[in-house]
Amino acid sequence: MEIFILAFFALGYLVLAGADIGVGMALPYLGRSGDERREVIAAIAPFFLGNEVWLVATAGVLAGLFPELEGELLSGNYTLVVGLVLAWVIRDMGLWLRGRLPRPGWQAFCDGATVAGSWGLALTWGLLLSRVLLGLEGPVAMVPALVVAALFGTHGLTFAALRLRGALRERAGVLTGGGGEARAYALTAAALLAVGVLAGLRLPLHPGTSGPVLVPVVLALIPFLVASQGWVWWTFRHRVTGPSYL
Amino acid sequence: METVDLARLQFALTAGAHFLFVALTLGLATLVAVLQTRATVTGSPIHQRMTRFWGQLYLINYAMGIVTGLVMEFQLGLAWSGLTEYAGNVFGSALAIETLVAFFVESTFLGLWIFGWNRLNRWAHLALIWVVTLTAYASAFWIMVANGFLQRPVGHVLEGGALRLADFGAMVGNPAAQLAFWHVLGGALLTGGFFMAGVSAYHLRKRTAEQDFFRKSLRLGLGLALPAAMFTVTFGGLQFSYLQPSKSSVWANRTQLMAETQATMAALHGPGDYLPPVGPVRVAGVLMMVLWVVMIVVAGLSVLLMAFRPAVRSFRPWHWLLTLMIPVPFVTMLAGWVFREVGRQPWAVYGLLTTADAMSPLTAVQVRVSLAAFTTVFAVLIAINYWLLARHARRGPGAVVLGDRPAEPAPAPVPTF
Repeated sequence: MEIFILAFFALGYLVLAGADIGVGMALPYLGRSGDERREVIAAIAPFFLGNEVWLVATAGVLAGLFPELEGELLSGNYTLVVGLVLAWVIRDMGLWLRGRLPRPGWQAFCDGATVAGSWGLALTWGLLLSRVLLGLEGPVAMVPALVVAALFGTHGLTFAALRLRGALRERAGVLTGGGGEARAYALTAAALLAVGVLAGLRLPLHPGTSGPVLVPVVLALIPFLVASQGWVWWTFRHRVTGPSYL
Repeated sequence: METVDLARLQFALTAGAHFLFVALTLGLATLVAVLQTRATVTGSPIHQRMTRFWGQLYLINYAMGIVTGLVMEFQLGLAWSGLTEYAGNVFGSALAIETLVAFFVESTFLGLWIFGWNRLNRWAHLALIWVVTLTAYASAFWIMVANGFLQRPVGHVLEGGALRLADFGAMVGNPAAQLAFWHVLGGALLTGGFFMAGVSAYHLRKRTAEQDFFRKSLRLGLGLALPAAMFTVTFGGLQFSYLQPSKSSVWANRTQLMAETQATMAALHGPGDYLPPVGPVRVAGVLMMVLWVVMIVVAGLSVLLMAFRPAVRSFRPWHWLLTLMIPVPFVTMLAGWVFREVGRQPWAVYGLLTTADAMSPLTAVQVRVSLAAFTTVFAVLIAINYWLLARHARRGPGAVVLGDRPAEPAPAPVPTF
């Protein structure tokens, strides 16, 4: 059961946050002016907070149910994980702070942080996954890492095509030719799921000893967590019609 | 410095930066929830504007709290894998529950609160800010449960070289967790109260257009700060009965007591230095108490003064004083935290696992590089947060974007899913 709980949150993160990371990577392509970029960000704005907490929850589940693996995985990949966390912080600051000053220079700077942080996140994920999956290290690991990053980016485009309107929507649909937007999203989501599952199968998933206490608590919580996220998805199910608070 | 000291410094900077932001977050969230309740129940426009203005300051600060919290979450596994391997099966449950009950729900609902403004039913929107506030409390609660275990381990058994959770209730009910939670919560409310009062006093001193707005805010801030100061000192005092012998002997500064504690610990755990550094622990403890006295005096006098309309309107030295008081609760919180955490040394889990043994097998270079990177990022974040808060606070309620209605009517939405 412990393994399913871990998989639930980790895979949920890859699919949900994978989309907003991908949108961040494609931001310069999707939005050519400051206003366009703001509208692109509005496509992920209501979701990115609720998406990234899936990774927070994954880390929490690791700490509670797999404490030994937590230490091994994080300290064993110290520099990569530090890079991942820093990229995450930089990207979030770009998103959060963009709208707080009405100056084009500031907004371009924040957009730069969002793009750099999103690429940093996708590449560190790529490096981590290729180390776990293929045991690759060093410069050669960049090849699978770039493949994973490209997958994040594509997933972001398919999500953006579902959320944006007009010219922005057309740009997002460049890879699918504009048709079958939902199908394209499902396809990239499935590819990310496959990468996640394969990497998970390579991990030494030996649960710790607090399962009997913790597992029932987590199982009881999951419906509420999913319902709270469902409320967000339902509230913002329509296409973006203009800029948001960010 | 030894690698373990660098790793400690890195953890301290992360926790300290995070603690600064969350102290204000917890306090301001409460105040915003109270304001929004008033606004929703009475429909009063000024309270709606107050909700938006203080809500925006809360959000600027919240963003900093969340990103430092992300770093915090990964610190234990990164640099302290000895701790997670040895005791993760016990206090890891508290961390897991924190991420799910608190962090997850708080972030999800905060997103709804920000972006659902003017979209959701107003009662649902009000419910959201209360969920966000209460889950922020829950977050502090479960973190203090985890920290309380490290301070005063209970509810565990030692099995095969690692700890196992034997009594979940004992871990949660640990007085070192419960009392500390209420103490920290009181401190956070005090921080929020003084922040609101200080910003309001700035506008009153500058005679900006929003006199009524900031008079009301000043009253609310001070009205919270005074009881919060009493509340927090009560739960601070109660904790002294649960201080570890080593911390308590250093605090008392009695050479004989310290020698006795050292001898007892050495007999139990073998040769070593089992006392925390006397200077930092005592200075931090004294600083916390002195600043508390300053705050209670200022809050007490201010609550009297705010009954007099002319003083509220034009007693400028008092306005100055209140604005200058804004950083004081932050310094006090950090001092209390140093007292508690440095006072636990040399233990990561008191009496069970030393800090040196808790560390991951990392090289000095790895820790140096990450320490430099995190320090730079935190310094930038603190500077940006200070600058943005000051800027938005100065500009006043006229320039608030949060909860703005869109300028043009949105075209008919098209469903996407």
